[in-house]
Amino acid sequence: MPSKTPHTNGTDPVENGINSTKDVEMKDDAPAPLKGGKGKKAKEGEEMAVVVPPPKGSKLSATPSKDKDGDTAMDGPVEGDEGDDGAVKVDPVTKAVVDVKSNFPLLERAVTHFDARFSLRALRSISSIRNRLTPDILAQVITETYQSANPAAKSLLKSLDREHAIFGKTSSIEMEIDTDNKPKAGKKEPKEIIPEIDVFLGILTQIYFLESKDYKKGSIFSAYLADRIHSLNRRTLDSLSARVYFYYSLFCEQIAPLAPSPSSPVVSIRPALLTALRTAVLRKDIDTQSTVIVLLLRSYLATSHIAQADLLISHTKFPENASNNQVARYLYYLGRIRAIQLRYTEAHEHLTAATRKAPSSPSAAGFFQTATKLLLVVELLMGDIPERATFRQASLERALQPYLLLVQAVRVGLLGDFEAAIKQHNDTFRRDGTYTLILRLRQNVIKTGIRMMSLSYSRISLRDICIRLKLESEESAEYIVAKAIRDGVIEASLDRERGFMKSKEVGDVYATREPGEAFHDRIRACLVLHDESVKAMRFPMNQHRLELKNAQEAREREREMAKEIQDGDLDEDDLGGEFEGM
Amino acid sequence: MAERQLQDLVRKLRSAPDYPTALKFLSTAKLTLLKAHALVPSPTTPQPLLLLARDVFETGALLSLRAKDTEAFTRYVHLLTPFYELQLSSGEQNKITGLYLLLLLTMGNYSGFHTELEGLECRNVSGEKRVVEDKFLGYPIKLERWLMEGSYDLVWKAMASGEVPCEEYSVFSEILTTQIRSEIASCSETAYSSLPISSTKDLLFLSSEGDVVSFAQSRGWTVQDGRIYFPALLKTSVDEKGNEKELSMVAIENTLGYARQLETIV
Repeated sequence: MPSKTPHTNGTDPVENGINSTKDVEMKDDAPAPLKGGKGKKAKEGEEMAVVVPPPKGSKLSATPSKDKDGDTAMDGPVEGDEGDDGAVKVDPVTKAVVDVKSNFPLLERAVTHFDARFSLRALRSISSIRNRLTPDILAQVITETYQSANPAAKSLLKSLDREHAIFGKTSSIEMEIDTDNKPKAGKKEPKEIIPEIDVFLGILTQIYFLESKDYKKGSIFSAYLADRIHSLNRRTLDSLSARVYFYYSLFCEQIAPLAPSPSSPVVSIRPALLTALRTAVLRKDIDTQSTVIVLLLRSYLATSHIAQADLLISHTKFPENASNNQVARYLYYLGRIRAIQLRYTEAHEHLTAATRKAPSSPSAAGFFQTATKLLLVVELLMGDIPERATFRQASLERALQPYLLLVQAVRVGLLGDFEAAIKQHNDTFRRDGTYTLILRLRQNVIKTGIRMMSLSYSRISLRDICIRLKLESEESAEYIVAKAIRDGVIEASLDRERGFMKSKEVGDVYATREPGEAFHDRIRACLVLHDESVKAMRFPMNQHRLELKNAQEAREREREMAKEIQDGDLDEDDLGGEFEGM
Repeated sequence: MAERQLQDLVRKLRSAPDYPTALKFLSTAKLTLLKAHALVPSPTTPQPLLLLARDVFETGALLSLRAKDTEAFTRYVHLLTPFYELQLSSGEQNKITGLYLLLLLTMGNYSGFHTELEGLECRNVSGEKRVVEDKFLGYPIKLERWLMEGSYDLVWKAMASGEVPCEEYSVFSEILTTQIRSEIASCSETAYSSLPISSTKDLLFLSSEGDVVSFAQSRGWTVQDGRIYFPALLKTSVDEKGNEKELSMVAIENTLGYARQLETIV
């Protein structure tokens, strides 16, 4: 391929844009070819938003698109200046390779600076790479990164079915790329490859298996990778190993005998996860700890081993400063378990926190929906009616449709509607795992029905109650109403001889302590929010010293001024005299 | 060797005349299982031995229940759980699970009941039958629903009319009866001001008026001119006063709290 042609296809500016943002973050010794991107950054600002998925048929795509987009060649000259490397970027394979490699300096920096933020940044970039991965790209990265004798590299290649890939040297297809990248690869070779890069490539391999739905292979490879991680004890590896376990259990969930069956791999992965948890706790590895706890809970709930999940929660301490997403997941599972155990108040608390902590990005909409569904049911079980506004949110409206019907039935207390809603959406509720919880709502519907009647009638016969609520018999109605009175649902009394219910006068709500309590709750919530936001504020390191320095300078200046004044004043005898007089 | 011995023991167990003799067989059976490493199933245990172990525990569970030894029953249920997890279910599984549910219900352990139920629902999703329609499992589930709703008459009917799925279930009937009777009594105390003795008899499912009077006395109700008067609700007024005092205290405390917080913020 001629290197200096002013060519661009659709993807080119975009790629450059991405590169340029990344480039800024890089170390000084980062690969030079990308530097040109910096200058173009501003110019391409708008184009960066356009994401054109690079075609899978890697090589061929570059050629036909050349003439098509030839007129948008405004980046041409710049590219030309960059020389060979710039030209090669057109090729998606090389592009992906470069993208993958651009994370290595980040990982290295994470190790040298001992700062997990850099590895997190590398992990974040995965989402932009993930749908471009092919075994060839991975194999290429591996062969270029490692020396041939490295066993880690060999096993990676083996799992990718690319055992024959040749290290450092070019194979016939990868000719140009390799020649282009050779200086870079050569520069890297003397360096020792840190295990972080190892694991990072492992994660990419996992993702490749996930994307190609090759779950069996993926789980085997993950087991191997988890083993390797287990043998390494490096704090800079924490966030990476958490990710490894995450994908490991994801594979297991997808393999043949699916979740509820006791022989599913979800069950067999548990010992591995528990060992990982133990190790993570001993190493104070917060990332892995939180991830693995969440994974275990998920696994237990998938087979509905509620008792075990509850035991796990009571025997482990979820790390306080775990990442937000893990906290949200943990809270959701916790809420779910508590709801099943009829501890609705706790469940409500956890689920509210989970929905609030849920990331607002569209890719996390599923979690938000699921958590909201459960929250709605728990709210209903507690006897509250969820707000109408919840159902109007764009991201929830359709998903919550069945629940809306349910809420309407419960709110009015119509047993018929309630049962119709359950029957109609039986499968939805079962899929959401809220079915058993919803069945418990029956008594709430009845209670609301009774309350509505006691509010609207000062006196109503048991027969009428029985008919309105569609109960089996008048006797049942009597017992049910009696229970409602005892539970404080309604203020009324029964007359057995004449068979009616007599409501008591409704007192003034504002005479009770209720409004005060509601007020107090809200104020407390506001105060807690304030405290939390104060705690969450971050300040640049050593800023206070700078201020101190400034203050010191100012003080010195003041002192000088005072001195000057004093000197000046000393000339005036009377002032000095006064001083002495004092 | 162990297998034959166990088969023999299971046969003996089934024909055991009374609980004490059965207990003897059970303990020998458990010892044999322990020696054969089959007390708790492990991947290496051979299948026939597992099946035998399960049989021993199932018989043990039913026997202990008939002897009203609920603790032993709970132990057997826990021992059986791993066997059922391995899908070594038998005709007895639903029966025993149902009985266990009923036990949890009579002990008032609702959270345990629902936890167990959730597991059943989940495991049965792929199954042929819905849990509620099962003869053995449906019974405790229905009872729980009626108890929560307050349809005590339906509970009573279900127990009285001999609708119990099998004889072991009737062990719980007595406990349940006293349980719902005290529930009804506490409901009546708040719901009615007074009741004629004759209708109280129906209400509490008691057989004679004499029983009503003795029951009323045990709960501290006053019986006068053929009517039962429930103790007046004196408590509430006292409570309200106490509350009011507390209310102002709470308000003061809260306001002071806000003031302190405001000071730190401003």
